[in-house]
Parts: sequence; structure tokens; C-alpha cells
Amino acid sequence: MTKRPSCLVSLASVAIAVALPAPTASAQAVDTARIEAGGQNDWLTNHGSYKSFNYSPLSQINASNVGNLGVAWIHIPGKSTRGLQSTPLVADGVLYYTGSYSRVFALKGDTGEVLWSYFPELDEALVARQTHSPYNRGVAIGEGKVYVGTVDGRLIALDMKTGKVAWDTKLIDSQKLTVGFTGAPLYAKNTVIIGSQGGEWPGRGPIFAVDAATGKKKWEFLTVAGTDDAQKTWGNDSWRTGGGGGWMPGTYDSETNTILWGTANPAPLYDWSGADFKTQGARPGDNLYTTSVIALDLDSGKLKSYHQELPHDAWDFDSAVGEFLMLERDGQKLVVHPNKSGFVFVYDRNLAVKNVWRMVQNINFVKDIDPKTGELIGRRDFTAGKVESPPLCPYIGGGISWNSGSYNPKTGLYYKIGQEWCMTLEVQKTTPVVAPQVQLNIGADFKMAPPPGGEIYGHLDARDPVTGAKKWEVRFPEPPIASVLSTGGNLVFLPDARGTIHAYDADSGAELWSHSDGTGHQGGIVSYAVGGKQYIAVTAGFGGMLSDDYAANFGGVFKSMPRDDGALIVYSLK
Amino acid sequence: MRLKYCAAVFLRAVLVASLGYAMPAPAQAQTPEDLANFDVNQLFASTCGFCHSDGGRDAGKGPQLMGTQRSDEFMRERIKNGKQGAMPAFGASFNEQQIDAIIIYIRDLKPR
Repeated sequence: MTKRPSCLVSLASVAIAVALPAPTASAQAVDTARIEAGGQNDWLTNHGSYKSFNYSPLSQINASNVGNLGVAWIHIPGKSTRGLQSTPLVADGVLYYTGSYSRVFALKGDTGEVLWSYFPELDEALVARQTHSPYNRGVAIGEGKVYVGTVDGRLIALDMKTGKVAWDTKLIDSQKLTVGFTGAPLYAKNTVIIGSQGGEWPGRGPIFAVDAATGKKKWEFLTVAGTDDAQKTWGNDSWRTGGGGGWMPGTYDSETNTILWGTANPAPLYDWSGADFKTQGARPGDNLYTTSVIALDLDSGKLKSYHQELPHDAWDFDSAVGEFLMLERDGQKLVVHPNKSGFVFVYDRNLAVKNVWRMVQNINFVKDIDPKTGELIGRRDFTAGKVESPPLCPYIGGGISWNSGSYNPKTGLYYKIGQEWCMTLEVQKTTPVVAPQVQLNIGADFKMAPPPGGEIYGHLDARDPVTGAKKWEVRFPEPPIASVLSTGGNLVFLPDARGTIHAYDADSGAELWSHSDGTGHQGGIVSYAVGGKQYIAVTAGFGGMLSDDYAANFGGVFKSMPRDDGALIVYSLK
Repeated sequence: MRLKYCAAVFLRAVLVASLGYAMPAPAQAQTPEDLANFDVNQLFASTCGFCHSDGGRDAGKGPQLMGTQRSDEFMRERIKNGKQGAMPAFGASFNEQQIDAIIIYIRDLKPR
């Protein structure tokens, strides 16, 4: 870690509202307290801090000077099969990010100089058999180490200064099911938490906690029938191959020592039960704890509370996608959590439903969700056969996807992408998958379709996170699928699917700046400062599962866009 | 190619009689009985259809299979070895006869 000269003088020039303590020459360890505090100059966990705002308080780059933004440096990770889905982390002037195949890089945040790199040796034969591969969505950092998951089922810890392996723990036998880890882990209180893929595969979707110092597994929670009570919600032994998983990081609530996590959908994705899903079909019952938000005790992994956002999810609308915004409103502590369906749930800290609002217009898998209770009203449960008129909305890609939204405490607005698309499908009465095996377990042939009477599009909304009231909206011809960043400089940054990064006025939605990054975006975007200078770092590189649909359905630039390339691009004021 | 296709046509007769049976576990000790239980319609609904939209009739994440100009050899290789970053390798999941059945299904695809 380099010593920054004249730190106090440099910091004075950064227009930050809150006064910072003078930084020491060598960095303090990144620990739970630091991640909780959020850090002015840093980005210490996947969603920014445990509040999951995906927000930077920095305002050196702001609405009046963003037109002067230019490229400061670029890094090309190489071997970017399926592009880049990673969100970088930054601590004390060093940026840590991953490319495909869980390749980890530590770069100087001001110059992009590579400090170290680590390329895990993956089981390439296994990778060749996987569907959501070989992407990686980022690392966690804590107590001097960088933690990364792999698609072949391992969690690896690297020394933060040198990149040397501290431990490498195999958590999943990926050979049978081909599932592993694609999401970033979460570090909290000497523990690293990571959730497996699961929904499309006939397994039980584990979430793991590992001792950060030793790499030893502390506990494992099975999202499919992880308790005796939950097992009763899976008829005909369907819990054996139920799906589930928790493939994006949740958050940590230090007040209650709780891990909040979103779980994935059950398998098969599409059921043939018809209305009587409690006793008929491929997996009779509510199918706990799939498509739920769960609260686990950090130390024991025991379930403390939960809310199942979609009981008997018959549409692949995971709760795993959403960030957990930890907000306060009128003295009440709330948790705001978007579900893949396009509904956003508002809970208290015990996961009791306080409100439910729609992010997305084209929803017909239910008529509505009761905002007071979370009860699904007017469900569309299919029997074997065609679903065409009306098509099912939203599409399997969701009304909302795993790319993070951003909450800006200065404007009080939640900036989030909504996706408007639907699908026709033919549900099959597939015979039950009785043992974990290589095949997916989807349950229907399907095809993307436009919304009834309309066109497919995406939109960036500025919403009240609790009521859902919309302040402004910007539309895109294809849904953007990268994360959103908002900053203390009154800016909202959105990297779109065609390859342009946009900056909007956070209050009004007026576009203030844009720049082409050369290829489509499907990853993260963060902001940090080094030596008194603010940077915006964004990954570009298309090709993940959701983006695979774009060339065939939208044509245009997507037909020539590479699906095996990517770069980290970092901007600052010229 | 022609010979293999004719052999496949014979196999189809076997298949037609056996639609609706469960899918076998990954190929280990494959027997003629396993082929009798192999339902490509169900295979598409559970796995292939994730990328080959509408049972293979449309382009989506993967190319349209209906009416493909690709040879049987090409499809066989592709199913076995996949395509890096685009399609998984299914060589460990299916035996030769099952791949024959998949190719027949693809050749037979018609608009709904």
C-alpha cells in the first residue's frame, strides 16, 4: 500500500459533506466495522456497504462538471468468456476485481498498475459442461484477505497484499449437478458467506458460511427444505431435487447478528399443477424456502425469520436477485428488497411485510400482491399445454434482474432498472427428476414475446423506495442489464446494453454525459477516491445468460457484439 | 451421413412407441432399454429449450434448430463438445443412440 503525500491537503479539495479522520500511512484492516461504516473513499463490499445502497458519497464529480469526465485508465483481464459481470471493490487505493474463470486482479486505483493477479485452476472439463459459466460477479474483502468463489464449487481466500492463496475450500461437489458459485461472497464478523446456484438444477441449493481465517466450513443452510417444517411443503419427496440456492450476496445486520439472503426458485421452473398446486403437479406445496428472503443467525446458520415472496413459485422469479436496502423511514427500520418478478417488497427488520409495490408495468403472473400482507392475488398456475394469449409477463429474464439498483440518501430516491418483456410457453408434464443429475429441470419450451399491445423496452426509474412513487423515468429500447450507481455529486450512472455509459442528474433525470465503452455492459459500477481524486470504475463485456437473448431478439449492434471480451474502464475528471 | 440417417429413422420407430417415459440418469451403463425411455420432447422442455427457444423452433439464446442447414456430423460434435462460452458439452450425458434421437427430433421440427 503506497503512502499518499499531503493527504490532508488533497482531501480538503474533495467536496465531501462529512469530515474524514486523517488516514494513516498504512491502511487499517478492512473489518466488519469498516464495511458497516461504508467508507468515503472505498467500496468495501459488493453493494457498497451492509446498507446495500450501491451509492458513493463522493461529490468531486458532480452534476456541474460531469461533462469533463474522461478515461483515466483501462484494464483488460483476458479470457473474458461470457464477458464481465463483476463489481469491483476498492480499499485504501487498491481496486480488486474478477474476470471470467474467477481470475482475480489487484490494481492501483489511480493508475491501473497491476499489483498482483491470481488465476485459479478450474476444472475445465466441468466448466465445459456448465450453462452459467464461467462467470464471476466479484470478491469480498476482510481481515487482510480477498475471497472469491468458483464455478467448480470452491471458495478461495487470497492474501490481500500479495495474492497468495491462504486457503482453498471445496464446498460443493459440482461434478454431479454442475452447479457452483457465480456470485460474490459476503464478509462479516470473521465469516465468509456464499450461496450456490441452484434453481434450474435438481438439488437443494445450499448457502455456506466459512471461517475467514481457516477456510473451514462453519455451517450450511439448505434453501430447499432446510428445516422439518419446510420439508412438509414439498409433496411426493420433491424436496430431494427441489432447486433453490442463493446465488447473489445478501447483507449483514450487525444489530441482530443476522445474515439476510435471497433464495432462488424451485425446480422444475414451470409446473403443470394448475390451480391446485398444493396437492398436484411436480412439487406440490409452497416449496420452502425457495423464492424467499431469509434471516439466518450469522454464528449458527439457524433460521430466525423468513418471508416467502412467491409461494410455489411457478415462474422462475427468484428472490436471489435483489439487494437488501437497509433504510429508515419515520423512525422505522425497514428492509427494501426487489424480487425478480418486478415487485419490490418492503419489510421491517424481522421480515414482516410493510408494503409491496410494482417496479414494472407488464406483470400478469398474478393480478396483484396484497401490499399489506404480501399475499398473491389471482395467480396464473398453468397446466400442461400452451400459454400464448395473453403471454406470461414478465419474461423468464424477469421484471428485475440481479444487477443492483442504487439508493441515494441525499435525494431519498431508489434508482432501479425495470424490464418490460413477456413470453409464450408450452408447459410439459415432465416426469419427476428423482436424483441429482446433470440435466436442467425447466419444465417448458418457451420464447420471448412482446408485452400485449406493446413493445419490449427497459427503463431506469427514480422511485421512492418505500412507497414506489415514481419521480422520473428514462426508457431504453432494450433493457439495460448492468448495475446502477448514484453518488453524492447528484449523479446517477447507468451503463446500458449497447455499450454506452450514461450520467443523469439524480434529481431530474436529465442526461448530462455519456460515453461509449465499446461493448455492452452486464456488470457492476462503483466510485472511489485515491489521493484526493474521484474515479468511476465500470466493467464492460457482454455475453452472460440474460444477454444471450439480445442478438436474436433485438439484432442491431448485438449481432456483432463479442461474447468473449471485456474490460474494466475507469473514469475521472480531465 | 445418409447411412446414419437411415439407421436413425429405424430408431425413430422405437422412440415413437415409447414417448412419455422418464429420462435416464447420466450415461453410465447405457442399454437399448435406456433409449426406449428417452423422450427428446421432454429433454427440450427440461434442458435444451432453455436456450433453443420454443423447443428448437426459434432463435433465442441459441440458434434456431428447425430447418437447420448443419450436417448431422456438425450437430453430433456440437452436442458432445459444446461451444466454449455458448453451449455446454453434453458428451457425458448422452450415448450415440440418444444423440441420434436428438438429431431426428431436430430434423423433424415443424412450426407449431
